[in-house]
Amino acid sequence: MSEAAVLVRDLSLRLGSFELRNVGLSLDRGEILVLLGANGAGKSVSLEAIAGFHRLRGGRILIHGRDVTGLPPERRRVSLLFQNFGLFPHLTAAQNVAFGRRGADPSRLLARFGVAHLAAARPDNLSPGQKQRVALARALAARPDLFLFDEPFSALDAPTRDLLRGELRSFVREAGVPAIFVTHDRTDAEGLADKIAVMDKGRIIQTGEAADVLCRPADTVVAGLLGVENILPGRCLGRANGILHVAIGDAVLAARTAAAKGAVSVCIRAEDVAAMPPGREWAFSPRTWSGDWPAGGGGTAINRLMARVDAVTSLGPVYKATLDCGFPLVAYLTKREIRDLGIVFGSPVVAEIEAEAVHVLPAGATRPAAEKGG
Amino acid sequence: MREWAKATVIAAGLFVAALGGGAPAATQSPTALTIFAAGTLAGPFRALDAAFATAYPNIVVRPEFAGSVAMAKRITELHQRPDLLAVADFRVIPKYLFGAADRPAYADWYAGFARNAITFTYTDASKFAAIVTPANWYAILARPGVEIGRSNPDTDPSGYQTLQMLQLAERYYRRPGLAQKILANAPPKNMRDTETALLSALQLGEIDYLAIYRSDAIQHHLKHLALPGAIDLGDPKLAKLYGTAVAQTKNGAVKGVPIIYAVTIPNNAPHPDWAQKYVALLLGAQGRKIMRESGFAPLAPAAAAGRDKMPASLRPLAAAWPSM
Amino acid sequence: MAVDVSVALPRRTEKAARGRAPDRSRTLPLVFWFFGSALAAFVAIPLLGLAAMPSGAALLQVAMDASVRQAIGLSLEASFLTVALSALLGVPLAYVLARLSFPGKGFLAALLDLPLAVPHPVAGIALLSVFGRRGVLGMPAAALFGLRFWGTLAGIVAAMLFVAAPYTVSAARIGFESVDPRLEKVARTLGLGPWRTFWRVTLPLSRRSIMTGFVLTYARAISEFGAVAILAYYPMTAPVKVYELFLRFGLGEAAAMAVLLLIVCLALFILFRRLVSGGGAPAGIGR
Repeated sequence: MSEAAVLVRDLSLRLGSFELRNVGLSLDRGEILVLLGANGAGKSVSLEAIAGFHRLRGGRILIHGRDVTGLPPERRRVSLLFQNFGLFPHLTAAQNVAFGRRGADPSRLLARFGVAHLAAARPDNLSPGQKQRVALARALAARPDLFLFDEPFSALDAPTRDLLRGELRSFVREAGVPAIFVTHDRTDAEGLADKIAVMDKGRIIQTGEAADVLCRPADTVVAGLLGVENILPGRCLGRANGILHVAIGDAVLAARTAAAKGAVSVCIRAEDVAAMPPGREWAFSPRTWSGDWPAGGGGTAINRLMARVDAVTSLGPVYKATLDCGFPLVAYLTKREIRDLGIVFGSPVVAEIEAEAVHVLPAGATRPAAEKGG
Repeated sequence: MREWAKATVIAAGLFVAALGGGAPAATQSPTALTIFAAGTLAGPFRALDAAFATAYPNIVVRPEFAGSVAMAKRITELHQRPDLLAVADFRVIPKYLFGAADRPAYADWYAGFARNAITFTYTDASKFAAIVTPANWYAILARPGVEIGRSNPDTDPSGYQTLQMLQLAERYYRRPGLAQKILANAPPKNMRDTETALLSALQLGEIDYLAIYRSDAIQHHLKHLALPGAIDLGDPKLAKLYGTAVAQTKNGAVKGVPIIYAVTIPNNAPHPDWAQKYVALLLGAQGRKIMRESGFAPLAPAAAAGRDKMPASLRPLAAAWPSM
Repeated sequence: MAVDVSVALPRRTEKAARGRAPDRSRTLPLVFWFFGSALAAFVAIPLLGLAAMPSGAALLQVAMDASVRQAIGLSLEASFLTVALSALLGVPLAYVLARLSFPGKGFLAALLDLPLAVPHPVAGIALLSVFGRRGVLGMPAAALFGLRFWGTLAGIVAAMLFVAAPYTVSAARIGFESVDPRLEKVARTLGLGPWRTFWRVTLPLSRRSIMTGFVLTYARAISEFGAVAILAYYPMTAPVKVYELFLRFGLGEAAAMAVLLLIVCLALFILFRRLVSGGGAPAGIGR
């Protein structure tokens, strides 16, 4: 096992009625770990505990091999940024950057981030992007061994988030310092994470490489947090040719996944659902499954379901369509698709889902606790 | 902007109008008799009020107690109009209320109704409390370390009466410098201008001896020294002797006179008839009894100055002020 | 969905041109001004009446009186000491109340506001019983430090502190509560210990509130009469002296000194407010 840059082991604490249990994380230099969870899951508390603001019941925190568990926050060399970036409102940008280290020349750092011209400005007068850069300059000035970001983007609009996310990612990579990023928003996870750790009720319920966690949520809670819109109750019917058949209501879906038995939860991401015009050859009434999979390897199995459009809501760049296939199915459609398909309320469509996109999980909550949309 | 200015003016105007309209003082339904009295009369006057209420149930008596001079000033400076004024030193009435070159007459007569005496009160916790007697008090109180409290001679009669008493004591006991030695134990830091403050200080042990009226000592059940009549300003017959003591105050020199409490009905009293009934009660047998029980020595009969200006109903109750 | 601005605009200017009643967004400030003016008048009119009482000559005469100047000076000095003590003891207490939670916190906070409700002479007597010659604190204070509270500056300051300190504590507490604790955490991670964090982050951000607390404490201390008069008559503070003037002379002289005192206080408050708002720090709200 290679020596991780940051190692958190079995962190446990109690804060009033809230308990953190056996939280463990590890990251390497320049890696970003996204700590994902619903509000109240314990993400911020974990972050604060790593920074040294809470008394631990148990656990160790090692940063670059240095055991900082007993140290006060000012000795841990950990940098903390939170919502609105935590710039001191009574100081100028330059004074903020010079705050931790007397002697370090703030103008050089500010120049490195392209905000040297803002040295005399007050945080009130800065845009979020400028604030982030000043905050990062300040954090860098303190030469930390670990960055901790506590939902710094929560108050920002989507385009700004995207921009800042990108800047943050490059910054962390360049600095070569590991970072833990706390959020409840899955787009942050998708955009930033090298690793993802999912928290719920004070415990870590899944952790691993980002791609793994995103594609293979361990249970329905994680799925919900990751923003899977369709989590449906199903029954396993049997497995053949590497395909698991799952019944959801009257419909049967093909899932390319490991064997499972009995009651399960089926997770399908809305963006994996495509809408097709009802072709002439599909002259079946709704609620009929029509399976079509080519024999032979390499091909994809595709589920096609007749559906009726129940609702269409605008989510900005995409539209969220709720289809009635005998069970509710959420799909993301572009404006173009809606126009080409001539979709209005009640119009018939065919929902197409590749078998790879049908994830089967042990039965659990069918309505995730996380916030939807975004 | 203009609208705001208008709103402000209207509001301010309404407020002032409301004040003006509601001006007549809060007089309520039953007749209320307002009495201003010296603080030391609080005890007996409350008993008197009860007796008055029994006799005349439809009248409400509203007494207020404060320093005699403060009360007089409320009449002359603040233009308040009580029905009755009772003071601890009879001279306060002619000095502040009688007509003079520069002011109208707020009162034309007064009736002295009770005597009092200055004494020293103390508690069991006071220094040398166990050994102090009427024979040795002047030596004990002159000892260093003894804290003595007194009232402010510039604003309160009992203050300058204490000074006069000490002068008389110096002569009586033939101890030159006695007054100064005792006053050294009663420096300005031991002076207060309210009874409350002084009595609290005594009871909390901050001071060992307090120069105060004998009536207070009796009413508050405090130990006190029985001083000889020649020095305690309690005997009207010794007026001449008392006159030899002169207290220096910021208001000038004040000659010693017997402590005589006096009462008057101001000329602009709102309810003179009822006030007269009250005074009649005070000067009569029942009033004298109440005064005696409160530790005062009532004057029988009461002595009136400006007797011819007294209301006719009260004249029989008082003799002319004896010449001194 | 294009908005036809060209249609919207003329209508509004037309309305204004016709001098119509203001639209509803103006009603609130107007109503508030209406009620507010009543209170402002309530405060201003008696003060103006008081200021109008003495003539210039009377003011001058009272200002020439050494004992008057002494009394005012003593009041200023004692009040200043009171504010200093309030700051030293009250600001830390306010921080504890703002940041920590402990059993009995609500009770303690309520207790600290209680002196404001105690009748002043009663407060004075209570203080005397504790700090007097035989008091549980007065005896050791006298024995160990030679500190006495009867008829001394210490007694005056004790009385003033009792009635005025609550203002510092509650104002400072509000100030600290308005500072985002996360800012303090950031400072800690930047390498500052708890004390330096307090000094460089928390205090500057709550400066306005704390200063307001000081002004209120000062004002309350300087005007205190009932409690001070129990503990110390001589040396005379300004309110005691005003009353003495009333008893010895009359309303004119008392009013003259009162006006003199108010002028001094007014000048001090204006000066103080300038000091507070100078420095350009933004309002004490952490972001």
